[in-house]
Amino acid sequence: MAAILQVRNLVKRFGGVTAINGVSLSLEAGKIYGLIGPNGSGKTTLFNCITGIERRDSGAVGFKGRRIDRLKPHQIFHRGLGRTFQIIRVFPELTALENLLVVTTSEFKPARERAEELLRFVKLETLADEYAGNLSYGQQKLLEFIRVLMSDPDLILLDEPAAGVNRTLLNELLDAVKALRDRGKTIFLVEHDMKVVMGLCETVFVLDHGEKLAEGPPGVIQADERVIEAYFGR
Amino acid sequence: MKRWARWFPAALALLLLVLSVYPLWATGYGVRVMLQLFMWIALAQSWNLISGLTGYVSFGHVAFFGMGAYTTAILVVKGVAWPLAAVAGGVMAVVLAFVIGWPCLRLKGPYFAIAMLGLNEVLRVMASYFEGLTGGGLGLSLPTLDASVRIYYAMGLVALAVTAATYVIVTSRFGLRLMTIREDEVAAEAMGIDTFRYKIYAFLLSAAAPGIVGGLAARDMGYIEPISVFPLVTTITMIVMVLFGGKGTIWGPVLGAVILFTFQELVWANFPHAHQILLGGIIVAVVLVMPRGILGVLQQRYNLPRTV
Amino acid sequence: MTPHITPVMLGQVIVSGLLAGALYAMVALGLGLIFGVMRVLNVAHGPLLMLGAYITYFLFITVGLNPYLSLLVSMPIVFVIGVALQHFLVRRVVDAPELSSLLLTFGISIALVNVAQLAFTSDLRSVEFITGAFLVGPFAFSKARVIACLFAAAITALAFLFLQKTRLGKAIRAVSQSREVAQVCGIDVHRIHMLAFGMASALAAAGGSLMTVMIAIQPEMGAVYTFKSFLVIVLGGAGNYPGALLGGLLLGLVEQLASLFLTTQVNEAVAYVLLVLVLLLRPTGLLGGRST
Repeated sequence: MAAILQVRNLVKRFGGVTAINGVSLSLEAGKIYGLIGPNGSGKTTLFNCITGIERRDSGAVGFKGRRIDRLKPHQIFHRGLGRTFQIIRVFPELTALENLLVVTTSEFKPARERAEELLRFVKLETLADEYAGNLSYGQQKLLEFIRVLMSDPDLILLDEPAAGVNRTLLNELLDAVKALRDRGKTIFLVEHDMKVVMGLCETVFVLDHGEKLAEGPPGVIQADERVIEAYFGR
Repeated sequence: MKRWARWFPAALALLLLVLSVYPLWATGYGVRVMLQLFMWIALAQSWNLISGLTGYVSFGHVAFFGMGAYTTAILVVKGVAWPLAAVAGGVMAVVLAFVIGWPCLRLKGPYFAIAMLGLNEVLRVMASYFEGLTGGGLGLSLPTLDASVRIYYAMGLVALAVTAATYVIVTSRFGLRLMTIREDEVAAEAMGIDTFRYKIYAFLLSAAAPGIVGGLAARDMGYIEPISVFPLVTTITMIVMVLFGGKGTIWGPVLGAVILFTFQELVWANFPHAHQILLGGIIVAVVLVMPRGILGVLQQRYNLPRTV
Repeated sequence: MTPHITPVMLGQVIVSGLLAGALYAMVALGLGLIFGVMRVLNVAHGPLLMLGAYITYFLFITVGLNPYLSLLVSMPIVFVIGVALQHFLVRRVVDAPELSSLLLTFGISIALVNVAQLAFTSDLRSVEFITGAFLVGPFAFSKARVIACLFAAAITALAFLFLQKTRLGKAIRAVSQSREVAQVCGIDVHRIHMLAFGMASALAAAGGSLMTVMIAIQPEMGAVYTFKSFLVIVLGGAGNYPGALLGGLLLGLVEQLASLFLTTQVNEAVAYVLLVLVLLLRPTGLLGGRST
């Protein structure tokens, strides 16, 4: 399977702080990947650099074989890369349906049909005309999740999808993620909930202080001494 | 409340009918008052298009009004018919919007606002500077013409057109995308919306009507000078009208324009400074207490749709 | 078509620029404090400067108070006004989108300016206190400007000492960097906000007071200084307090140099063009600071 995302020696500094210090990783299409690490290790920054929200200082990011590190976020989006955010970023003064309709879809069905289908998928169809700002935390989380799916991206970055979500909802989300993987999508998620990561991901990357500490299947990572030290030791 | 929604279009049609025959029985003064009201509606609606929808506060919007005024005045003095000159005023205003918007809309919201703060002053200074063209500080006099009634209709048409355009935009996906810029620009970018392009479109659209209306006002006043067509208080009034009425809505700016214009006619003439203090106070009050404006309050109370 | 520029002219212009720049720096530091600590763009900064000017003016014509001594009066008074503004109004929009605070301070500035118009009328007023110039070799420097620069430099230095050495000053810097972390460290953020706003207002008032001796004052005088302060902050980098210093000096220099080649009217546009250029090319400021 070809690599769908390649990050090579990515460096990102904020003033005097080096948030990402030469991180390299490679994702193959059709798998679920996890990114873990202690707080402040640079996970969200890495996501921001990949999606163009932050400008990297050096290094390269390749998506589907082409460089994307100099593109603007909306251009990267159109190449087939979607993401959700750590802090929910739905559009509060738009209705749930409108939140989906604004996403630029190119092909297949008219946007409205697809939006309604996605709402049904996560059982939010009754709230289609409700202001997104009035939805509960979990509902907004789901909304943000399906919003990403509106354009049918090939690579989906999920930033802490399990945060603040109850078990039932979480299981639905995880089932949805697995279903996406089965359809050939690639998912890359940042998560603190170890059960989620270990149960879902095929390969896990560990970030610590802006550097890639380890990489491998969940079982191996769990047993890796350096990882344990990073989380608990220091 | 779907009941009232049914008679609203009928009421609107009736109102438009009344307004279109108004000049037949009104006094000259009455016509001029209404003409100014139309002007303010057009200005407020235009400001709403950029600032109410995208959240990018344009503090220098009167620049487009002044641009239109000067373009029209210069052309009329050279013998061009005023309707054509007014349209040219609109075109030049859009050109100005492009020249300014191209660099400035790349800036994030607050920085854009600051850049627009200075725009007003710069244009006023430049109008004084290019004396050969603009008559400098002495201003420009247009050949006398009593066209109040015709200008009444012209202004009314522009006000109607901008309101109609706002309706089309707010109920379309284009409008939704503009609003995402206001809601969360980063998320909008991440969802594939080229925020810069949308901002430019909104900005250009928002400059057209002020340009035309500025031209019409110049024709109506018969004389313009830098301070009269680039006054800060015009921008302030535009802002208050939209904030007070309800930014981002279709009828909010109209409501705000009507209420504040009435108030202005009663208070401004005698107490210009007290009036402005009040305007400042209204802005403070709206931001703190009523951020969605009057229409926003009504929307919540009576469960009105967003596109009202 | 450029006039023949002698080294003397150049030297004169450079020093004038630095003199003016010190004043800009002091006033801009105020604006920068508010932005750094609260992320609020205070459009009312200019009107606060104007208030300081009027206080000095009236103290001069009623009791004949030395304008420079009146700093001891105008600064505390406007400090209190600033604290009140923050406590009653600005506090409510500190967490709102930045546009809310921008509109709020805009509304406040309109109200302030027009209250001044009502109270003082828009007649130009000035204080005749020090005239003439210091003659140093071939150079002539207006006495009023030199003294203003000295005061501005002294006040700015005091402000920096305060920020660097005192506990409160360090708290201000801490809140500028991260409000959450400062709260966790037990800093009363609201008090720091009030202090910062008050300090900023006092700095603006100082600028106004010093200017009374140099230029004619009127209620709308503040607006251009708000704008120039923004420019200085952008030049120096948001949140970068020393940067504001250099930004101020730079602005003073550029303006004076430009006056050699351009008429005074177009000079006003220089600041504007400079602002747009810097915002486009180096939004984090020439010295690097945070960008929005």
